[in-house]
Amino acid sequence: MIETQAKPGRGESGSVPTVSYHEIRKRFGTFEALAGVSMEIYHGEVVCLIGPSGSGKSTLLRCTNGLETMDSGDIKLDGKSMPKDWNGMRGVRQRMGMVFQNFELFPHKTALGNVMAGPIGVLGKPRKEAEQRAMDLLRKVGLVDKAYSYPAQLSGGQQQRVAIARALAMDPEIMLFDEPTSALDPETIGEVLNVMKQLALEGMTMVVVTHEMAFARRVGNWIVVMDRGAIVEQGRPEQIFDAPAKDRTRDFFSHLGWSG
Amino acid sequence: MSYDWSVVWRHADLLWEGTKVTIFLAVTTMIIAVPGGIVLALMRLSGIRILAAASATFVEFFRNLPLILVIYTAYYILPVATGLRFSPIATAIVALSLNVSAYNGETFRAGIASIRKGQSEAGYALGMSRTRVMFEIVLPQAVRRVLPVLASTWVSLFKDTSLVSVISVGDLAFESMRVRSQTFRVLEMLTAMAVIYWLLGYPQAKLVDWINKRYRVNE
Repeated sequence: MIETQAKPGRGESGSVPTVSYHEIRKRFGTFEALAGVSMEIYHGEVVCLIGPSGSGKSTLLRCTNGLETMDSGDIKLDGKSMPKDWNGMRGVRQRMGMVFQNFELFPHKTALGNVMAGPIGVLGKPRKEAEQRAMDLLRKVGLVDKAYSYPAQLSGGQQQRVAIARALAMDPEIMLFDEPTSALDPETIGEVLNVMKQLALEGMTMVVVTHEMAFARRVGNWIVVMDRGAIVEQGRPEQIFDAPAKDRTRDFFSHLGWSG
Repeated sequence: MSYDWSVVWRHADLLWEGTKVTIFLAVTTMIIAVPGGIVLALMRLSGIRILAAASATFVEFFRNLPLILVIYTAYYILPVATGLRFSPIATAIVALSLNVSAYNGETFRAGIASIRKGQSEAGYALGMSRTRVMFEIVLPQAVRRVLPVLASTWVSLFKDTSLVSVISVGDLAFESMRVRSQTFRVLEMLTAMAVIYWLLGYPQAKLVDWINKRYRVNE
């Protein structure tokens, strides 16, 4: 069990958030996915976005690295507005790692090839150096013996751990997790969450969209509850889970069968 | 009616020459039409309107014209219209390449479209450029996925090369027909021709089945 320590700087004046969202709006046709969301993420925090399906969590996460465009609003990175053009976004993406619900490993590359794809193809690292680093990362996620396996030969949990190593290979400042365990068999969820917990302990700034309430409570240090494209409430895990301020939050937990 | 099968053996050298030309035509056409098809597909999917329209026009034009008409046109009308005169075999390759490139263009387009969006997104999330995502992530998967279709196109092409005999290219069909008209041994020569095409084509069809199994996309 990890101490949910109070992060210095949360809400204090003077500290610049690593990422700050200002009035983000996004529509898909007539569906309002994000209805003006504002929030901050500070350095070293594990921010967990929770809430029912279709509440805008994933959309907000995908706006962060420009996989989704916003209709209006502004996202600031270290206090500076993110570029709107494609090439500028490429630079931003290189500073953020992303882990997808469906892993999205490249099926024609080995685990090692997947982890090396970014350093070689984007950073232009020499193959030998990239390979060494990739092997270190695969060791870190416990899959060094699967380096030469193809994704189809790996279990879901193993694929997701390779995907985490692939994102880490770019030495990101922030890791974005989009429901990383939702497509997994129950018995492989733990191995992925353990890797994520390890990352959190090392001080990685993480934004995690998740339905794993136990993970959010124990590893997260800032919880954001979303519903219908808006933030219902946000706060420290013990407050959100033990003493939710809003009926909507209590309602959501009761639907999960979660009693705090 | 009596048969004289010796006519086949007596003209074996001509049939062999024709077979070589047939293989050469099919191989050369495919070597041109695979990159050609990829270029057409990339143009179509480029998002640049004029390129997409040019590609679509090319594909729909050559895919919907009978190949024999393209061959005749390239041989009789193009030299008059443009002043350029190619050898019959070069003309044949141009006509076949136009036709097969159009088919391959549609094949690759479907293949690229079949690779799910998340794969490109995973590339973009790493900071890759559009070009790198296309050539390192999407296209290698698309090519694998359409290999069976390309293999079928190849088998069709191999037989369709016989159409170029109408412009006196000395392929297997042309040489067989020539021997036939010189010796009046119709049945013998048609049988010989059928046997050779079949013997060359059957292993290829089997190869297609094997490719289908071997390169099935595992995800």
